[in-house]
Amino acid sequence: MAWEVAVYNLLSVLVYPGIIFMVALALFYQWVDRRFFAKLQNRYGPIYTGPAGVLQPLADLIKLLAKEDIEPAAVDRHMFRAVPILLLTLTLTTLFIIPVAGPSALVWFEGDLIFIIFIMSLIAILAFLGGWGSTNMFSTIGGMRAALQSLGYEVPMAVSFIGPAIMAGSLSVSKIVGWQSSTAGYWTILLNPLGFGIVIVAFLAELERIPFDIPEAETEIVAGWQTEFSGRKLALIRLTFDLELVLASGLIAALYLGGPTGPIPFIPGIVWYIIKTIIVVLIFANLRALFARFRIDQMVSGSWKYLVPLAIVQIVILELLLR
Amino acid sequence: MSETSFTVPVGPQHPALKEPENFMVSVDGERVVDVKIRLGYVHRGGEKAFEARNYTQGLYLVERICGICAMAHQLCYANNIEALLGVAIPRRADYIRTIIAELERIHSHLLWVGVAGHEIGWDTLFMYTWRDREVVLDLMELTTGNRVLHATNAIGGVRRDLTPEMISKIAKGMRHLEERVKYYASMIPKERTIMKRAVGVGILKPQDAIALCAVGPTLRASGIKRDIRRDDPYSAYDETPFEVITHDGCDVASRVLVRVGELFESIKIVNYALEHLPSGPMRVRVPINVPAGENVSLVEAPRGEDIHYCKSNGTDKPERYKVRAPTLANWASMAAMLKGGYVADIPIVLAAIDPCMSCTDRMIFTDVSSKRKWYWTIEDLRRHSPKWRGK
Amino acid sequence: MQNEIAKSLVKKPSTLLYPFEKYESIPGSRGKVVFDMTKCIGCGLCIRDCPAFAIEMVGKGVTCDIKWYATRCVFCGQCVEVCPRAAITQETNYDLASGDKSSLVFEYKRLRPS
Repeated sequence: MAWEVAVYNLLSVLVYPGIIFMVALALFYQWVDRRFFAKLQNRYGPIYTGPAGVLQPLADLIKLLAKEDIEPAAVDRHMFRAVPILLLTLTLTTLFIIPVAGPSALVWFEGDLIFIIFIMSLIAILAFLGGWGSTNMFSTIGGMRAALQSLGYEVPMAVSFIGPAIMAGSLSVSKIVGWQSSTAGYWTILLNPLGFGIVIVAFLAELERIPFDIPEAETEIVAGWQTEFSGRKLALIRLTFDLELVLASGLIAALYLGGPTGPIPFIPGIVWYIIKTIIVVLIFANLRALFARFRIDQMVSGSWKYLVPLAIVQIVILELLLR
Repeated sequence: MSETSFTVPVGPQHPALKEPENFMVSVDGERVVDVKIRLGYVHRGGEKAFEARNYTQGLYLVERICGICAMAHQLCYANNIEALLGVAIPRRADYIRTIIAELERIHSHLLWVGVAGHEIGWDTLFMYTWRDREVVLDLMELTTGNRVLHATNAIGGVRRDLTPEMISKIAKGMRHLEERVKYYASMIPKERTIMKRAVGVGILKPQDAIALCAVGPTLRASGIKRDIRRDDPYSAYDETPFEVITHDGCDVASRVLVRVGELFESIKIVNYALEHLPSGPMRVRVPINVPAGENVSLVEAPRGEDIHYCKSNGTDKPERYKVRAPTLANWASMAAMLKGGYVADIPIVLAAIDPCMSCTDRMIFTDVSSKRKWYWTIEDLRRHSPKWRGK
Repeated sequence: MQNEIAKSLVKKPSTLLYPFEKYESIPGSRGKVVFDMTKCIGCGLCIRDCPAFAIEMVGKGVTCDIKWYATRCVFCGQCVEVCPRAAITQETNYDLASGDKSSLVFEYKRLRPS
């Protein structure tokens, strides 16, 4: 009946694998990331709140939500208030397109890969607007750096998405996952490891993590474009940060590692999804511990000198191998 | 292009600075156009406090000028008062002072490598070097009783002796540290992310370094071989063989390499001093009242040349005590280093001179009674210095 | 650097889980100052030499009591050194923090003949 389907859809969107599940997964991944990063540095991470410290990200989120939300008098009020909310909603929207619980996502249509690229550019523009609207010197510099950085990583990221699309013959993430799990397909990383490397580097820049956390460089410009946000707005921004990690790892797992499917048929798709995305999260954390921060000019010029040619090369190699 | 420049205030509260100072940096996009330095945020009235305390109390006040270079300041003070008294301290005390001073240099340089790593965003290096620094801090606690602020000097010698057990523990610690420092020395030049941020950044040409009175590793990274331990030896440095490390790069990378080289030299000096430790008393008794006179003593602190001046008047309290810590001499060259660079390079260039703001602030920069404030440019500093000395 | 990081994965973390794991002070480290009033003669040398003015004499001479202000003391050990009767010793106890400021003034009284 129509209303049963409607209730089922609503619960899927809100609870599983929708908003609440994604937020819980985001907080869990932040814990995984912090523990692994700490272990690489020969120290503990969060270990006290909850069993083995699992509730620490939730505690941090609740603390931020409870803090005073200071809005300086000189900010552009509408931009300042809209940016955290828009960031969160855009990220959540994109998450519905990633297959999580099975080979096809909650929402899919032909060309949703391009839609994802579009939303990522919007997120970068929103970071710039957040810095601009804050009217603070540090925020302006951070916002400008965010915009500059997106000039660097957008092209290699988009080109590295095209590789799996060519192999699967479709521009929809769900179709790509379906092709990889079908009998005619295989994990795209096997034929295209260069593309995997490029997408990891490009996503490090998109997620604003070391070595590319230039827009948010703590020791240089206090907190970059996030400087003036506090309280609830900062809580939303931090939550977006974690959700972007889920998004990035889910997308990489879907495009290159076969998504929520695996060789053993009895294990549900969600378990495969979690295993593969945790592997990607650990790769990110390892790269975070390994490198120092680049300068913005080095990042942009390095990206155009190395990443873009490599991205083009990997497409060419792929075409040659597939012929 | 100059109309679009605006001023970024770095400090007094800023994550890049461990201690508060204010730098008004005029930027144009990402390029630094001009820097105005305003000091004085950590001014604590130390020099006045010296005049109200006798010489024994002053021993402990002087080491609190800076937590990291505490031994250097206390050594300089002790040398100063001993010269005024005219006493010669036992040779064993000289060697023990050398060992503790070099241990302090090791801990300070390791701390600095970690802080430099943190400034360029590489927290892993910070965690690793501070973990290795714990070896030195434990050795300090063993020999002097405290991890920092060692207070091991007394006027007339040292307060605690080195037992054979301590000597073997120090030797073992040095062996462990030598391996770790070898690892850092081999890893840092190969690590591209550090070198890209450090090579060619914060250039200070040799003639600028001399003209702007730079001291310490900042000066030696511009190729100039000046070291108080070599030029004007004190304690046991006239007998211990060591090299003065210089580099010709004049940039931040050279300063890193100079300090890593000095780590090796410090380990060598400690090992030599431990093997050749003379026997004898560790301390002589000195009278309480110091005869009238003036003395200047110099010491090579981890950050550079540390100068103390004392004027005594025959009582047990000094008449005037003046400290010129090394970081104060490095500020003018820092302004020259920052101009023309990027905003992103400000923290690493600041960190590269190893600033110790607590050491810096003993000059009053605002005249409260006439409500006049002024900025100290290099011309002001140059004009002030002969005026003050002429008094 | 990668293999150094990988090695850290299997090593035990270097962090001391204070306050659940206590730090064992090395013997000889300078901690809490203790006065032995059976040996004190009330000469006042410790008060003259204390750089932080943390010792106070209550009364005068051989019948005095001593007050030690832990909040002012810098634990330098000068009083330990200068006492002619070795009445002052230093423990390795560094854990003196308390929420109540009056509990940080230690009074050392002589046993009065009854």
